[in-house]
Amino acid sequence: MANPVANLQRTAAEFKQMDAKDKRRFMVDSVLNNALYILMAVFCVYTAIQRPNFLSMGSLGNLLVQVAAYLPMALGIAGCIVLTGTDLSAGRAVGLTAAVTGAFLQRIDYANKMLTFLPEVTPFWMFVTLLSVVAIGAVIGLINGFFVAKFSLHPFIVTLSTQLITYGIILWFFDLNGNNGAPIGGLDQMYKDFLGTTMFKMGNTPIPLYVLYAVILTALMWFIWNKTTFGKNMFAVGSNAEAAKVSGVNVFWTTVLVHTLAGAMYGYSGFVEGFRSGSIAAGTGTNYECDAIAACVIGGVSFVGGTGKISGIVLGVCILRIIFIALTMLGVSSSSLYIIKGAIILCAVALDMRKYLVKK
Amino acid sequence: MKKLLAIALALVMVLGLVACGGDDPAAEGATKVSVFWYDEADVYLSSVRAELNTALEAAEVEYDNQFAGKDQAKQIEQVKTAIAGGSNLLVVNVVTSGDPDIAQSIIDAAGDIPVIFFNRAIGADGSDVALLNDNASSCFIGTDAPEAGHMQGKMVGEYVLANYETVDLNGDGVITYAMFKGEEGNAEAIARTQFGVEDADAVLTAAGKPALEYFDAQASQKWQTDPEGAWSAKAAKDYMDTNLVTYNESAGNMIELVICNNDGMAEGAVASLQQAGYNAEGAHVVPVFGVDATDAAKALIAEGAMIGTVKQDANGMAVAICETVKAIAGGKTPVDALASLTDERLTVAGDCAGKLYVAYAPYTGE
Repeated sequence: MANPVANLQRTAAEFKQMDAKDKRRFMVDSVLNNALYILMAVFCVYTAIQRPNFLSMGSLGNLLVQVAAYLPMALGIAGCIVLTGTDLSAGRAVGLTAAVTGAFLQRIDYANKMLTFLPEVTPFWMFVTLLSVVAIGAVIGLINGFFVAKFSLHPFIVTLSTQLITYGIILWFFDLNGNNGAPIGGLDQMYKDFLGTTMFKMGNTPIPLYVLYAVILTALMWFIWNKTTFGKNMFAVGSNAEAAKVSGVNVFWTTVLVHTLAGAMYGYSGFVEGFRSGSIAAGTGTNYECDAIAACVIGGVSFVGGTGKISGIVLGVCILRIIFIALTMLGVSSSSLYIIKGAIILCAVALDMRKYLVKK
Repeated sequence: MKKLLAIALALVMVLGLVACGGDDPAAEGATKVSVFWYDEADVYLSSVRAELNTALEAAEVEYDNQFAGKDQAKQIEQVKTAIAGGSNLLVVNVVTSGDPDIAQSIIDAAGDIPVIFFNRAIGADGSDVALLNDNASSCFIGTDAPEAGHMQGKMVGEYVLANYETVDLNGDGVITYAMFKGEEGNAEAIARTQFGVEDADAVLTAAGKPALEYFDAQASQKWQTDPEGAWSAKAAKDYMDTNLVTYNESAGNMIELVICNNDGMAEGAVASLQQAGYNAEGAHVVPVFGVDATDAAKALIAEGAMIGTVKQDANGMAVAICETVKAIAGGKTPVDALASLTDERLTVAGDCAGKLYVAYAPYTGE
């Protein structure tokens, strides 16, 4: 696996030894297994011909910025999917942590400051806010993980419950201090600079600092997944919890920690969300998990459990964003946008499942 | 340990149920108002609710609030439950707007109990007029849905006309615009998307200027819709970021005007423009318009990062509902109750005596 060139050479050698029938089957299999990427390539070429700007530096920069915004959440939720689960509370967790971030980091002189007793924003205070929202996200994840592991409940129902509870807390939060459900705006400049300072420009697209943070987080997640015992345990539990238990893996703590880690990532996503959209409303975060789950599945993190790669998740998020950007540039109608996106997700999952069916 | 946990869980459940109970039953014969909201998270309705709670408390009317969570079937269940529980005046914000059958089923469930519908339209294209005329026990308090679009369009037109040279960044004499739509299939979004541009065009062409042009001549529709239908800042930001890649000053085709269905989307557009170096102090301001006049949007207007919005009068709506409730409790029929209101922001619709409009107001800073 380590050397892709040697790998290719070996495949080529095997291919030469096959008879005609095997050769044909091999070709068909390769095409089908990579159908999604082939389709995406065709789609990109078509878009680029119609709209040459699609492949400009500025456009790639825009893609990078959007991927960086959507990636942390997908990286978190992927762990839950590796455990054959899911996480429906992710969007609301982002909504709650975004709301807390917003309320903590409003300008001191903002006329409609919600929590008037809070101090002026300093680097220290911003750090406290970041830690707090990551902790809030982690607690939501911890609760998810605890109920999943302790009572052997399906994550679908556990996270559905926490989704509802979190939404209730969000609504309650937005009513605090006479805010009456109004959106939280007037975010402090220091916070905006922390996330939004332009590092460099790609074409005409400024690349904000949070892209760098996303890269760091991706590297961190790669390390956790591939180089730690916890990561190996996660895959072991995901592919066969019974076998993992017998081999001495602590299934309970692995499950709890995977969900907690996911929650922490939602907390970070919430921290960025406020900056990205300029203000936070009670509806912020609604259905965010759908895109994140779709990205993971497209990227090969299978619902079958125990499989998935960080690079796949990055690719999955990229593909969803490419679809969005390309369809926006092509100026297709809203109805087509839904249909195309739905069709792509369906095909991706079907092709993914096909691999396992063939194996069996 | 396991048992302890089980007991703790059971306790949480019991506490949850107890916490939802409370409130003593009403005295015989007194007015008991139940207010039904389509969703708790709606920004504008949250401010109406705060005003209405205050007004009803001041009027010493017994009331409760119920939330349907965007589920029409659930709301009808809530209405039936409230009637069974002794409510004798219903104030309903329907979930599915524009369908008179929904309103009819609520009126049927209510029987003789008067129903005040508010905010979300109970019929489209005049079907609500027939419904209200047939059911003397009900009335509607809302806004004339297209009015916000008309007002926004007029505001856009007048602003562009007064600042034509500044707005026209590339100096080609034509203003290109982007339009962000909150959701497909919503009567208000459709009206705002249409009239926000049409009325601006009317102002411009009357003054001898060319009409506005959508920034992407090849697009199949002249707006971009939030894929989640959530009227969200995020969607506007993602669209605007992507639009700016192709349409910018160095290419000579920069989007020169942004019109949004609500303030949330306007904030997203402003965030995107600011990231690209516009709409800040000392930079060129691409005019951005919204609807709602949220505090966040007002702050942006005060900073000069946004130009204008249309105010939905939360206080006016709350006053209208509370005064109507009081008049009906005092023995008036809903139609007479509406006619008795004196606030200058409120007008009974020309085509129907059972329909009251709360006026919108343009907002471009104080």
